[in-house]
This record gives sequence, structure tokens and C-alpha cells, in this order.
Amino acid sequence: MSEKMYALMLRLYPAQFRASFGEEAMQLVRDRVRDEQGAWAKVRLWADLAVDLAASLPRARRRSDAVLVVVPAHSSHVAPQFDVLQQGVPNLRAIAYGAMFSAVAFGALFTWFGYSRNYREVHMVQGPSKHDLLALSYSGRHPGARRGSEVPGAGTLAVSDESEIKVSRKSAHIVLASWRSDSGPSGFQSTQLLPAGAQSSAEPQTSQPNVQGATVAMIEAIGAHQIVMLGEAHGDKQEYEWLNVLVKNREFDQRVDDIVVEFGNSLYQKSVDRYIAGEDVPMGQVEKAWRNMIGSVGPPSPVYGEFYAAVRAANMKHRGKHQIRIVLGDPYGDWEKINDAEDVGPYLAHRDEWYAQVVKDEVLAKDHHALLIMGSGHFLRRNGTGLVESTIRSAGTIPYLVVFGTNAIGGYDNLDQRFDSWPVPAIVALAGNWVGDLPAMPVVTGGMAPATPLKLSDAADALLYVGPRDSLTEVRMPRAELDGTPYGNEIARRLTIQMGHPVNFLFDQTEVPQFPRPQPQPQPTGGPRPPLPPMPKSIHDPLPARPPSQ
Amino acid sequence: MPKRKLDPLPSAAFQILLSLSDGERHGYSIMRQVEEQTSGNMRLGPGTLYSSIQAMLEEELIEEVTRRGDAEPGHERRRYYRLTPSGRKRVRSEAEKLADVLRVARARNILRGDYV
Repeated sequence: MSEKMYALMLRLYPAQFRASFGEEAMQLVRDRVRDEQGAWAKVRLWADLAVDLAASLPRARRRSDAVLVVVPAHSSHVAPQFDVLQQGVPNLRAIAYGAMFSAVAFGALFTWFGYSRNYREVHMVQGPSKHDLLALSYSGRHPGARRGSEVPGAGTLAVSDESEIKVSRKSAHIVLASWRSDSGPSGFQSTQLLPAGAQSSAEPQTSQPNVQGATVAMIEAIGAHQIVMLGEAHGDKQEYEWLNVLVKNREFDQRVDDIVVEFGNSLYQKSVDRYIAGEDVPMGQVEKAWRNMIGSVGPPSPVYGEFYAAVRAANMKHRGKHQIRIVLGDPYGDWEKINDAEDVGPYLAHRDEWYAQVVKDEVLAKDHHALLIMGSGHFLRRNGTGLVESTIRSAGTIPYLVVFGTNAIGGYDNLDQRFDSWPVPAIVALAGNWVGDLPAMPVVTGGMAPATPLKLSDAADALLYVGPRDSLTEVRMPRAELDGTPYGNEIARRLTIQMGHPVNFLFDQTEVPQFPRPQPQPQPTGGPRPPLPPMPKSIHDPLPARPPSQ
Repeated sequence: MPKRKLDPLPSAAFQILLSLSDGERHGYSIMRQVEEQTSGNMRLGPGTLYSSIQAMLEEELIEEVTRRGDAEPGHERRRYYRLTPSGRKRVRSEAEKLADVLRVARARNILRGDYV
């Protein structure tokens, strides 16, 4: 719609300008439409375009009118003469023309907004008598539907024949005059426009989402954008099973240069580079990348080590061809030199800054295409873009943000069955459909966080869905790898540094629900809980100098 | 003597040259950079942006560059622009003029604080 409107506007420019810059101008508008979501942003966009048209069109026309023409020389003694165009005062006719067009464009735009806000679509069926219509609550691809209440103003309907219904326009809100029967004389289904709020049982309506298989959608996204950001759920088995398949896909492999991960301490970039490239590197050295993270003090989920192995396997399979690099985005703190909270403070305080710096240095500066993976809390657009995304945008690149989410749309027990028909895993673009209208926080937290006014379509560009909430599981490091082992003792030390007291991190189950039902806080027994330690003063310090990579 | 098209340099053209001072950019990136460097006060529309680019290409203040990614299938096909040596000289000269104006303004107490 927006593209078509601007294509019409573009036709007003001289052919020469369109031929030289028409496609570029269209691309710029496409970029803005994609990045500037929401009603206010759209109004601002079209206001900008109208002003731009009024300001630039007369100038472009004037340049075109005075375009230089090569006059063939009739005599070898007379050379064709050229002159340079001058800037001058815009002529009034051109300004009036631009103003008139702007007024028409604004009128059309506001009319369109009015319709889209005040009306919504519901499916109708014929009731017991010819004059009664019942509304089916909208359910898109599931026309089984729940039966809704009667349509207000049903008495104003008149049946003209068995296949076509006409509506007397007594209600100013009913704007669609007729529709056709498609289910025989005893009942019909069709589409009607009703005023928003008229149907108490009808659900908010927008168009249906385009649900794509996650691998196909991700390959398309990485083809269309230099950077795709994936907000992940930590340790989720189903999510990483899909990621491990994705990295082995040849098309994905050819399009992506780097995968920047949160789950890798950048102190160990050198070892990881060698490992990912297929060299023989002792596992005890490589695994330090994900076992010695600064951002995750507890034992890391095994899914991360498996992901590194999957990328290495993909590279080895395609040896001699394009290779994927894993770039480590966790700050470079060395746990062997961290003895207290003050030592770790600067690293913890600058996790996003460091990740953004890595993206600038290792991806943007090299003009690479990259998939960025970080916990969804870091990427979610809560109050505008996060630090990492802002940094990327400042560098002139607009990333595409996909966030992990599931079918919990309200409280913990409010699961939406519309997700059940989707393929798994799937990626769904969020603009202009009912998925984008869902509250973001319950969807991305499996119903553990309450709904806020933040809509999914404002929080991200697309949703990664790997299964219904209760099918999702988190993988934990087995107890045997931690209980009484040197690494387990080290984890206990790190947790004590951060929490100020020992914390239990040993669990018998290696696979647990990703989003367990929230439990009421038990009454403390055996005295008050130990207080959290004060924030280290060093969080205000800058990151220390980066040591050589190991 | 015909007047040069970009003399004086229009504000949009100056901002575009400034946005290209740290490297090559495509149209949308230029628009975003100008928006950022003017604190949101100038959002160049496609008409203004590309007519300015057209004029600056003709005056050889900027030039188009070919990028590796453009040839690859599935990638967005964008045109990137960068400053020419004369474009860099021109933007520096314009910035110095502005700095002179600011110095005068400060000397006459029109501006307060540590501008420039």
C-alpha cells in the first residue's frame, strides 16, 4: 500500500530523475516503512514525504525543463554550446501544484487511517430466521470459531435472494452493502465491516500472520538484512536443536559470515577461531569460552557447547568453501584473576557495550553479514531500541530483530490455541497482524511476566516459535559434572562472589520446564535470608584494557 | 559568468557531505546519519536526498562506489556514495566558515557557553 502510494508520487518527478534515482528512492521509502512502525510513525513518514515532495519537486522539474540538449553541429566550425543551470526562485505554479497534491495525499491517508481504526472484520452466519445474523468470533484460519452475539441492527437487514444479502444503511457504522452466500441457502458465510466495539465477543482484528518455517524465514531475513538479531531463551533445548540444524543449511552458511554470541568469553576468541575452523584444539581450552563466561556465573547449559560443535561440523563439511565464524560477545574477564565483586564489576556493567563494540569491529567494519544471538532481554525494544541495536543503527545498518516467544498471551494459564496449527519451528513477521498485537512480555516469558502495554510488533520484527509453552524444556549441566569436581568448586566460588553467600546450583534433573509455573515465595525458615551484597563500586569503572586473546 | 549550482552549499548538501566524511554510505544510511547528526531536526526525504546527490555527483563532490555485497544474489541492491577529494575539501571549507560565524557570535555575546 505505502509502496504503491509512493510510486504514484514518484511519477510526478521528471523521467530523468526517476530513471537515475527512482529505484533508490523507492528503497529508501521501503526501509522507512519497514523500520517505522506504529500509527504515529506512519503519519510522520507521510508528512515527511509530502513536505519533501512539495520542496523537491519544483526544483527537480526546473532542472528537467532546463536540461541540456546536445545540438548537432552543422558545421565543423561551430561547436555545440553548453551552459550550467542556475538555482533560482521556485515558480509559484509549481508550489501550488505541490501543495494541492499534498492536500489530496493527506486526505487519502487520513481517510484510510479512519477506516483501519474504526472497523474490523468478522465472519457472519445466517441465524434461525432470514433476518437474523449471528457473528462468528473471528478466528482467521480456524473458522470453526466460537459463536458470538447477534449483530446490532440485524433488523435492518433484508434478504434480496438466497445468494446475496443487502444491508439497509440505517446504521452509519455498517459500510459494506452486500455480500455473497457461499454455503447454500440455509446459511452463509461472508465478511462484514462492523464498528470496533460493537461486537463484545469479537476479538481484535488485524490480518492473518505469514507463518513460515523458521529455517526458510531466517535464510530470507539474512538475505535481506546485513544483520539479523535473535533474542534467545537461555538453554532452551528446542530452540538450539533448530539452531544446530540451521547452521548446517548450505544457503544459510553461504549468506552468513559471523555468528556473534553472548555465550562466549571473548578472552578465548583465538582458541574458538581455531576450533571452529576445524583445527585440533584441546576441548579443555575451547570450552573455557562458554564455561568461563562473565555474564553467566552459574553452570552453562550444554546446548551452548553443542552449538559450537555444530558450527565446527558445518565448516568442516564445507571445507574450502565459505566458512562461518563464531565471534564471542561476552566481556573478556579472566576468572583466574577475579577474586571479589570489585574485580568483576566493570565487566558485568559493560556487557552490552562490549557486545556492541564486537559487532562494530568484527562485523560492521568488515562489511560482513551476521546473525547475533543474545538473551531476548538484551535485544527487546522496550523503550526504543536497546544499546546493541542503537549502535548498529548509528553505523547506518538497520537490523532485523527476531525474538523467542511462545503461546502464553496473558497470565500463566492463558494459552492461545491459534498457535497450535503453526509448523514448528516457525518465524512470524509481526507487523500488521494479530500476533503483533499480542502483549510482548507474556509471550517472550512464557506467561511468567505480566502483560504491559508493550505490543509484540513494537518490541521486535518477528517471533521465533519453537513449540507450545508446556513443551519447551531447558537443558542443565548434569550434576555429575559439578558435584565435587574442580569446575563445580569454581562455579561455587563465582556464585559466592556475586551473591555474597553460597548458592545451590546442583540439580538432579538435566531437563526441566523452560517456563515453570511461578510459585509463591516460601516463608523463610531458619532466620532471615542473607541480604544481597552491595553493588561493587567498580561498576562505574571503564572496561580494563583487553589482554591478548587465548 | 554562470553561478555554480551548489554555491552557496545548501544545508541539505552540507549535511550529506558531513555524513559521508567517515566513510561510504547508501541513501538510507545517509538519511539516518543526517537525522542523527542534526539531533532529529533534519530528516531528508527521498526527493531532497537524491536531487542533492545528483547535483553533488555532477559537481564531483561525491562519487558512487561499487560494493562487494551488491553482486550477490538475494542481497539488497544499493548504491553507495563517498566523498571525492574535492568534496572533502569543500565540506571542510564550509565547516570552517560556520566555525568563523560561531566565533563572531560568541565574541558579540550572542551565544553563551562553550560552543565550538
